[in-house]
Amino acid sequence: MTAPLSPLIHLIDDDEAVRSSLALLISTVGLRVQPWADPQTFLKTFDRESIGAIVLDVRMPGISGLTVLDMLKEQKVDQPVIMLTGHGTIDMCRRAFKSGAAEFLEKPVDDERLLEALQTSVRQHVQSRQRNQADRVTRQRYAQLSEREREVLGLIVSGLTNKEIGRALNVSPRTIETHRANLFAKLEIDALAQLVRQYAALVDEDTAA
Amino acid sequence: MFAHLQRLRLWLLAWAALSLLSGMYIARGELTRQQDVFDTNARIVHRLLSQQVVQHDAILATLALLHGGNAADRPEQRLPALYGQIAAAAHRGANETWPSPELANAEAESLRLKRAVLADVDLQKGTYQLVLAAQPDSYALTIALRNMVPWAEWPMKPDTSPVQVRLDLGAKTYTVQAGRPFAMGDAGWTFEARKVLAAESQPFEVVSRLHVPWSALPWTYMLISAGTIALALLRGRMLVQQRTQQRREEERQRVGQRTRLNTLGELAAGMAHEINQPLTAILANTQAASRLLDDAEPDLTAARSAMQMAVQQARRASDVVGRLRRTVERPGSAAAVQSVDLHAACQHALYLLEPELQRSRCTPTLTVDGTPFEVQADPVALEQIIHNLLTNALQAMEQVPLQQRALQLVLSHTATHGVLRVQDTGPGIPPDALGKVFEPFFSTREGGLGLGLSLCESLAQGMGAHLSAANLPNQGAEFTLQMPLATPAP
Repeated sequence: MTAPLSPLIHLIDDDEAVRSSLALLISTVGLRVQPWADPQTFLKTFDRESIGAIVLDVRMPGISGLTVLDMLKEQKVDQPVIMLTGHGTIDMCRRAFKSGAAEFLEKPVDDERLLEALQTSVRQHVQSRQRNQADRVTRQRYAQLSEREREVLGLIVSGLTNKEIGRALNVSPRTIETHRANLFAKLEIDALAQLVRQYAALVDEDTAA
Repeated sequence: MFAHLQRLRLWLLAWAALSLLSGMYIARGELTRQQDVFDTNARIVHRLLSQQVVQHDAILATLALLHGGNAADRPEQRLPALYGQIAAAAHRGANETWPSPELANAEAESLRLKRAVLADVDLQKGTYQLVLAAQPDSYALTIALRNMVPWAEWPMKPDTSPVQVRLDLGAKTYTVQAGRPFAMGDAGWTFEARKVLAAESQPFEVVSRLHVPWSALPWTYMLISAGTIALALLRGRMLVQQRTQQRREEERQRVGQRTRLNTLGELAAGMAHEINQPLTAILANTQAASRLLDDAEPDLTAARSAMQMAVQQARRASDVVGRLRRTVERPGSAAAVQSVDLHAACQHALYLLEPELQRSRCTPTLTVDGTPFEVQADPVALEQIIHNLLTNALQAMEQVPLQQRALQLVLSHTATHGVLRVQDTGPGIPPDALGKVFEPFFSTREGGLGLGLSLCESLAQGMGAHLSAANLPNQGAEFTLQMPLATPAP
């Protein structure tokens, strides 16, 4: 079950017994676990690129889990964070969610709830990473377009025909057709629908800027 | 100490300022009063003297009208006998001359002005003459000022009055009343009134003066007022100090209460953490083991190790609880049992609760059934139990109207035990709660911790007593505390 590239769960708790038991529990569903006793070491050395989630105890000596959560968000760490606490107050809970916690669970935590939260988090993380990846590729391709091609792309996205675009830009529809062909080639797009879906947002962002 | 001195100085300053103000007020009032009296007297003096001199004109005019006739029958000769101030009266017949040229000059002047004219004014001696030219005879009166003043109607006592009264004519002056001597520029206040007499012929100016030196201010009143202010401030200071003391006491109590609550909260939070950690581990381990065993090919070694870890953590949790108990337990609490007068203990508890009793308008009754007795108890614990039971009763009765509130303490004894019954008229204990009232953290009261009765029962058990709860047949609840008698009844 434990394939080397399976998601990695970072588990931070200062209590050895809690750490090892939760690690064991998490590993029963095939997730890899990296336990951390000290939040400082964790912050310094954990693998930010890994896919997975972070399980963070609120009450730890030296540095509170909520502070660690704030630091993770500051450093733009994108792994979802699940907070664990022995005696959570409403205020603490609100603070955690405000700081971007994905889940807030009370100790002793039931296996179902913890594992489900972890699986949901991991799934979301994978999706967000994929989305980001796709986004990056899209941007790279968009960057290759010339000024005129971007103009044409903008008009295509707003739903104009070649003829209308030609009139708008004061060139012949034929020229537009050439631009259009280049565009499709550069962006590696086959269909108009795909073009609109993938690049409409980027065009908006560009014209807004 | 420094702050205390500072405050004292503030009070002294306040006293000085207030005394000064009141002194000034009294002095000003007195000065105004004196000035009013002075002004009135000056007006009276002016009027009296004016009346006198106007009379002289009238006398001369009358003489002139009666003129001539029998030279031997000179009416003016009788004037000195009638009027004290007229020292002499003279006349000049048609072919006579005045003995002095001054009188002659005055007569010429009088002829010209057609009224009486002064002559030979000698204010040092206090005399002057008044001449009226007439036909056929002219007349002259010699006036002695000393006798002119109508002392009978005089508004002041001439010997003792401090007011100076003079008559001025040019640079000459005649002192009517000496008054209190003073020099211009003396410290104090000076009142002065000047007015010319209301007779054209005798234009003397009446000058009244009164000097009030500092020493004449109403010092006695001013001192009395300063003393009164000092007393009032002392009283005020005492009240302020009492209030401060009281507020400090209240504050201290509140802080104490908060500290106790905070300590309790901290204790609870610490306990929760200490117990939660092993519980978390136990739960995670057992659930992991159960999942491992569910696998098609169970990893028995891993499952067994998880169960062992769970056992270890359960021990850890039990150790935490044990440690807590040992920390909270008071050593040697059972040794403090001694003979205690239960009646006195109840009275003392009622005495301590006096303010609360008054607040809930409740008059407790303490009755003894049978003979007085003593019980075996820990006095401190007993006091705490009674106090708690009474507080509980009062809190229960907050839910019923004032007139329904009654708190009864009934003492009785059996052959072996002393019994205290605390009966209230509150809503009683709900039947389903009757079995739980002594459980820790059980409370029917909103916000109650549920530790009071639990503590009472622990304390009671600790000293060999028994505490029970029941509802009364009509209304309210009854708590019964049974303790062994100090000397069993014969």
